[in-house]
Amino acid sequence: MTILERPRHVGPGVDRVDGPQKVTGAARYPNDFSHPDMAHAALVRATIAAGRVARLDTGAAESAPGVLAVLTHLNAPRLATGPSALLATPPPPLRDDRILYYGQYVAVVVADTPERASAAARRIEVGYEPAEPLLDIHDPRAERLPDPWGSDASWGDTRAALDDAHVVIEASYTTAENTNNPLGLFSTLAEWDGDTLTVHDSTQWPTRVRATLAQMFGVPEAGVRVLVLYVGGGFGAGLRVWPHVILTAMAARQTGRPVKLVMTRPEMFTGIGHRPATVQHIRIGATRDGRLTAIEHESRSTVAIEGDNIEPCATVSTAAYACPNVTAHDEQVRLNIPWTNSMRAPGEAQGNFVLESAIDELSHALGIDPLELRLRNYAEVHPRSGLPWSSKALRECYEVGAERFGWSRRVPEPGSMREGDWLVGYGMAGISYFWYQAPCQARATVRGDGTAYVRSAVTDIGTGTYTIMTQLAAELLGLEQDRVTFGLGDTSMPPGPQAGGSGLTAALGSAVHAACRNLVRAFLDAAAADPASPLAGCDLDDVAVTGGRVHRVGEPERGESYAGILAMRGLDELSADGDSTPRTPQEAGMAPAGPFGARFVEVRVDPELGRLSVARVVSAIDGGRILNEKLARSQIIGGTVGGIGMAMFEDTVSDPGTGRIANATLGDYLVPVNADIPDMDVSFVGGPDAFNPIGVKGVGEIGLVGMAAAIANAVFHATGKRIRSVPITIDRLLL
Amino acid sequence: MTTLTVNGVDHRLDLDDARVTLLDALRDRLGLTGTKKGCDQGACGACTVMADGKRILSCLTLAAQCEGREIITIEGLGVDGVLHPMQEAFVRHDAFQCGYCTSGQIMSAVCLLAEGRAGSDADIREFMSGNLCRCGAYPNIVAAIREVAGAGGGHA
Repeated sequence: MTILERPRHVGPGVDRVDGPQKVTGAARYPNDFSHPDMAHAALVRATIAAGRVARLDTGAAESAPGVLAVLTHLNAPRLATGPSALLATPPPPLRDDRILYYGQYVAVVVADTPERASAAARRIEVGYEPAEPLLDIHDPRAERLPDPWGSDASWGDTRAALDDAHVVIEASYTTAENTNNPLGLFSTLAEWDGDTLTVHDSTQWPTRVRATLAQMFGVPEAGVRVLVLYVGGGFGAGLRVWPHVILTAMAARQTGRPVKLVMTRPEMFTGIGHRPATVQHIRIGATRDGRLTAIEHESRSTVAIEGDNIEPCATVSTAAYACPNVTAHDEQVRLNIPWTNSMRAPGEAQGNFVLESAIDELSHALGIDPLELRLRNYAEVHPRSGLPWSSKALRECYEVGAERFGWSRRVPEPGSMREGDWLVGYGMAGISYFWYQAPCQARATVRGDGTAYVRSAVTDIGTGTYTIMTQLAAELLGLEQDRVTFGLGDTSMPPGPQAGGSGLTAALGSAVHAACRNLVRAFLDAAAADPASPLAGCDLDDVAVTGGRVHRVGEPERGESYAGILAMRGLDELSADGDSTPRTPQEAGMAPAGPFGARFVEVRVDPELGRLSVARVVSAIDGGRILNEKLARSQIIGGTVGGIGMAMFEDTVSDPGTGRIANATLGDYLVPVNADIPDMDVSFVGGPDAFNPIGVKGVGEIGLVGMAAAIANAVFHATGKRIRSVPITIDRLLL
Repeated sequence: MTTLTVNGVDHRLDLDDARVTLLDALRDRLGLTGTKKGCDQGACGACTVMADGKRILSCLTLAAQCEGREIITIEGLGVDGVLHPMQEAFVRHDAFQCGYCTSGQIMSAVCLLAEGRAGSDADIREFMSGNLCRCGAYPNIVAAIREVAGAGGGHA
């Protein structure tokens, strides 16, 4: 069976299979589910960032109308700890009187209606014994964690190379805290029946939620079922099992009723993670003709007192350019802040801002065009391992992007381009995104009516998993797309990994590929039971699948339909499982490549008012094989909007004395609105990647990356001002 | 008892709690969960519904204030299972990703046309800026509305 050589179903811009559900309001998100006898939970959060709960008065709440239970650290059941591996689960909530961050839960109230639950929650009085919180990333008293992920790298002799360089660029940069703010309020609905538990939850990782709940409540994992058919965005926020999920299950168990919790928007700022602030320092050495001789990149990011977070920023500088001397060092600083966590393109977003800004600074210092400078230092092989890339079309990204943008019209001198009263700036950035892929399983079934059902316990957070896996399965089984249903979001399906790290399409696609191949093999085995079958004696390599039939390659008439094979054997259906586990780079003899990209941005700056707007964005992306160009384009557009947010608007502001987030609403925390966003030009270049059988690379995060640097570089080109802190707000432009 | 007229159907509701918003009444009491709660503070637009032909934020409207008003939600936009032209255009232009803001975007977009504010891309962008889309589908939302506006707007 040869596959994907001349694909019929993958590639073109197919509309989302779940589109009609979403535009009619029929798609059901976790908070759209309910039970007739359901109770409602409301949370009470700490109003100090460090110290202890000294006094709790819950009497007024307990006697308030409709209240069923009030849980605090004084009466909450003791739970086991959850998984500590990758993206650890926070410690059990309400386990003691310690307060480690402003917004930590100190109580949960359960009542018969949501109005009564939240009204009663406001009647709980908490007295504190405050301690002095650690809130500043520069606080020398804060614990530092060097090289927290083992990702630090050093090769050559960076110090000596910097001493010898013709030109050295040295600068410090900062990036603000950002908050994921998926539009869907995170929600959990938990229902116990003895030791079995059914949970609807806003998660990007249902199997992790199941494992965590089983572990923390001490019940068999097989009895826990997690459902999430649709989720209102996540951007990383749904990658952990947060305390509110645990509290909802706890409240349901304590009250003996199904309990639903819908987080409030302010709670979404403290309870489901955020992108940490960073301070970064970079030194780049180069020859006069623009050859990089040294890169030294150091980054510090924030992490909660008992938290973990994967945020390799300096690591970005180890994969981007050919350079003989590189040192990259990351560290974390523990503070009394809510948990930091993945937010779309963690580490890459901030690290790329620094590296690609510094490259722009170097191009200006050398008088070499920024695009030309990048091409002169193109990494033909993986810089750290020296292995060939599994695919890399970054050069084509630069060429196509520059052509479509009209980069050659750029007048190099800053402040030299104008349109009316507006200063015009052109800026660009390159991206070499990391690779990530986790093991995954899937199951494929073809039924007697010739329809197929393929499934895995993963999520579609809006990226289009339902659609592209339907296309892929249709391709691999030789069925029309309307004959294929893809199922997900239910832990009773084969386990799959998180929708994160731009890794799900490769992991799941490879598992679906394996399951579909195994299923066709099962049909061949079934057919072979009849020696007269035209498929007798055929192996996978001897056959093709089209029109609901398995037939000999090049001989469409010599085959049998799925339905025919099933009917002949008296079977209702045939199923097969498939799994995927990525090879190691050493096994494959190549460096697995993430996506690559080039961003070209035109900005306008009002020199008197400091107003900044983005006029045009051109993106050229190497995403390997694109399964659905329409949806992949949406991923790039959406990421770009997030990148504009990071570059120009988003800043979670905390009070430096108390640690209270001062702008924890969508009216105060600015995100891009429609009027902030120009039309965008997106091109996909390159071809199938060699590392996985379907040739894909994830495009869910790269769209955000590079925007901060491209915009900052364009601002420099427009104004001559180098802004080394994002977001680039009016005050920073006017100073 | 309060009577809510939603999508042409009268619902008699025992509003035992004066704090119940129109949004919660629709979702929790009438089972019309297509209208979404994104902030409950009037800042995101996800809860946009039509009241007497105008777009309103149902999270900032008490259910008790809606007696005698004609409420249309996303569930009432199509006719006999046929998508409204705006719903069709949203699918065709991939004007959403996670889909959570989509009901509000579509209700807002249909009203935008009725308001006569979809004459240019700049107008569409400006007057759709009360509806946040965190997935960042804005260019596709503009394209969908532009197409429907150009075709005459469809029925409201």
